[in-house]
Amino acid sequence: MTRPRDHDYLPILKRDLADGKVSRRSFLRTATLLGLSAASAYAFADKVTGVPSEAQAQDAKPKGGTLRISTTVYDVKSPAIASTTAHPLIYSQVVEYLTKTGADNVTRPHLLKSWEPSTDLKTWTLHLRDDVKWHSGRPFVADDVVWNLTRLLSDEVGSSVLGLMEGYLLNSVDTGKVDDKGKKIIRHELWDPKAIEKVDDKTVRLNLKAPQLAVPEHLFHYPAVMLYPEEKGVFGPGAIGTGAFTLKELNVSRNAVLEAKPGYWGEGPYLDRIEFIDVGGNEQAIVNALISGQVDGAFQILPDFYPLLKDNAALQYYQVTTADTSVVRMNLKHKPFDDAKVRQAFRLAIDPVKANQITFGQFSTPAEHHHVSPIHPDYAKLPEPQRDVEKAKALLAEAGYKDGVDVELVIQQNPPHHLRNATALTEMWKEAGIRAAIKVVPNPQYWDVWMTAPLGMTVWAHRPLGVMNLALAYRSNAAWNESAFANPEFDKLLDEAEAIPDPKARSARMADIEALMQREGPIVQTYWRNLISFYDKKVVGFAMHPTYMVFCNELAIKS
Amino acid sequence: MIRFLLRRIGQFIITFLAASFLLFAVTEFSPGTVASKILGPYAVSSQVDLLTEKLHLGDPLLLRYLRWLGIVAGVVENPLGDPAIGLGLSDPRGNRYVGNFGYSLMLKEPVVDVVGERIGYTALLTLLAILVIIPVSLAAGVAAGVNPGRPIDRVLSMGAVILTSLPEFVVAVALLLVGVVWLGLLPGTSPMTQGGRWPLSLQLVLPVGVLVIASASYVLRIVRASVADTMRKPYVRTALLKGLKRRDIILHHVLRNAMIPPITVILLQINWLLTGVVVVESIFAYPGVGSLLLQAALFGDIYLVQALTLLALLVAVGTQLIGDLCYLALDPKIKLG
Repeated sequence: MTRPRDHDYLPILKRDLADGKVSRRSFLRTATLLGLSAASAYAFADKVTGVPSEAQAQDAKPKGGTLRISTTVYDVKSPAIASTTAHPLIYSQVVEYLTKTGADNVTRPHLLKSWEPSTDLKTWTLHLRDDVKWHSGRPFVADDVVWNLTRLLSDEVGSSVLGLMEGYLLNSVDTGKVDDKGKKIIRHELWDPKAIEKVDDKTVRLNLKAPQLAVPEHLFHYPAVMLYPEEKGVFGPGAIGTGAFTLKELNVSRNAVLEAKPGYWGEGPYLDRIEFIDVGGNEQAIVNALISGQVDGAFQILPDFYPLLKDNAALQYYQVTTADTSVVRMNLKHKPFDDAKVRQAFRLAIDPVKANQITFGQFSTPAEHHHVSPIHPDYAKLPEPQRDVEKAKALLAEAGYKDGVDVELVIQQNPPHHLRNATALTEMWKEAGIRAAIKVVPNPQYWDVWMTAPLGMTVWAHRPLGVMNLALAYRSNAAWNESAFANPEFDKLLDEAEAIPDPKARSARMADIEALMQREGPIVQTYWRNLISFYDKKVVGFAMHPTYMVFCNELAIKS
Repeated sequence: MIRFLLRRIGQFIITFLAASFLLFAVTEFSPGTVASKILGPYAVSSQVDLLTEKLHLGDPLLLRYLRWLGIVAGVVENPLGDPAIGLGLSDPRGNRYVGNFGYSLMLKEPVVDVVGERIGYTALLTLLAILVIIPVSLAAGVAAGVNPGRPIDRVLSMGAVILTSLPEFVVAVALLLVGVVWLGLLPGTSPMTQGGRWPLSLQLVLPVGVLVIASASYVLRIVRASVADTMRKPYVRTALLKGLKRRDIILHHVLRNAMIPPITVILLQINWLLTGVVVVESIFAYPGVGSLLLQAALFGDIYLVQALTLLALLVAVGTQLIGDLCYLALDPKIKLG
């Protein structure tokens, strides 16, 4: 068996790290993305930078015990249609992902041994680990991967993975039929019969129709777990997986109990048992449960409760800076947002630093209206956006709105900070003649109109790369393009950025994209959230993950 | 009596049908389609359209209502449970049985199972609360009512007014502060799960405590007013003038006549405790019907909201019927007409 050839860019990347041209984090992220194993990437980075990795510094972890975590316990019969980041908390302990993005925002192979992208990033060869077996004893093989990926990409299953990978693995097909409202019925199919190709028992090749840098990150999208094909996509107590735990009991909206599975191929498990406890979505109840020791940790704690818990001697505070955000997006199909001058006026009337402070205070960082976070390895630093009310008024006048505009901003009832952010923005807009009425709607109602409302505020979860959100939300005709933004120049720049593995070169291209977003883009964006939680100090090995993931096989309890 | 009961059952069926149709029509205007709720916000429109087509959700309202009624009556199969749809929903009773209220869209479980488990916990909470509320409120109410204007009446009445005026969440926070934060003697939530540091009995203390405070003080005031009013009746004065002992007058003449208004209020309290304890159950994360109704309403879980609303209707009609029978037992002059 021949060793897979290193990606052409790896030697350059190593030299850049040695010369201090890329950060340690950028190096780790890009090197692993280009197929270098995490162990090799960390070893090289440790050697060059002289900073030892945290993993090596960890003490041996104690074994045994039960860990109780407060979270919403959803039904997880069908992980493929999981729609929140709380869903995988339960099933990802049993069924696993091909890759894994750690709390450090670096994506590594997981059920894969390695991956190997072609230089043009259109062919991805995925090498499966040799030592992974299903709980039934059968080895984990390429057929399992092909079955799972093909299933996730079918219309019938209804997974959000389809929207994520549509651009590079699928074609849209007009069935020629219309529904009862006269709308065309569109279906999807793999763009090529060999798009997901089994090479041998331990190798799968993805042949893409367009270059894509973020394939490993997409394989960690929360519904994309590898299910046991013999169970036909249904998950539940006793379901077979490759993970460190097995699900013993699931009482939806009450609790889920998992027990350790001996002989796990990876690290751990150290715990005997995990119990996820649902205290009904009431944030105060979660805090009460933590205070009285009913749970050892929480999925997340709202910053509002930080003062109540910060001095509790039994609890340890955890936080992580993320690219989790909400954007006020303008839909270009509606006036006045079809005019770029109006969109820019909406941004110029805002002081992002002040809006961020009002919304979250110390638990967030200001955003810059372009949906690329400073923690993204492809972020480019631009001059901070400044508030300019006079210029905003002038732009509105140039666009034909000299008396200002009246608009309605639709926001969800939850999370509550949306209303704080919306109030801050509407007050600032007033000075520029933008009169916005806030319309608070129940969450399900918002998801009915999120693609069509003229002006809305939408949550966007953390994604490890800047290009990922841009491709999902702003590329012309993208599945989740809620603003109907269609800009050929943006699409061209994004295509180019997605084909550049070099973080320096890509961030130079990202600077152009970010500037275009600030000039003509469809959003007003003022903050990036930090996620916070508290765990009992006896819990060892926890780190707050930017998408709330908890890797229970790595956790232990001190007696 | 049998005619009375049959008439009541007939009235209930008509009310049930009218309420269920109204509910069905109202949910037409609730946000989100059934298909989009099942698949979540990030499903693309082709996926939602396909599921809508499979579930016949594009049919007219009346047709869908009749189909739903057929599913409840066990005449029509529930399409959501069809394995061909691939949602993984299954009901051990099959897809066709009497009382099939479908699947909860939020919990992806048969509604009958979800409600069945929750009603058990709510019944437990109600029973424990009522076991405290009735003796406490009756004893205190009678003590105040037979001593109008005396210090014992003033103290009990003033205390009851203060406690009645406190919202449940205020009482809950106060008890949490004392029992959990200051003393550390009680758990902060009551998820009714075993295996942790707190036994189930201690998990019940705070929710029962709040319900007792909220409800007993109100019932006490009604009992006090009714007893005080009865004490002024001519037959009580006659009994006193005849030289009967005060204790015998209260036990044999006052209590029986004074109980009709409190029974109405107690039955209304049972009605509320069984289907409307939303605040207390939410604050303490108690897995009862009230917190479930709140979650279902916020999610827009149509089938679950329908089942819970019809359950509330059943409880309301049932307690009303029990009330009528109690009046009859207490006062033979009352006729069931």
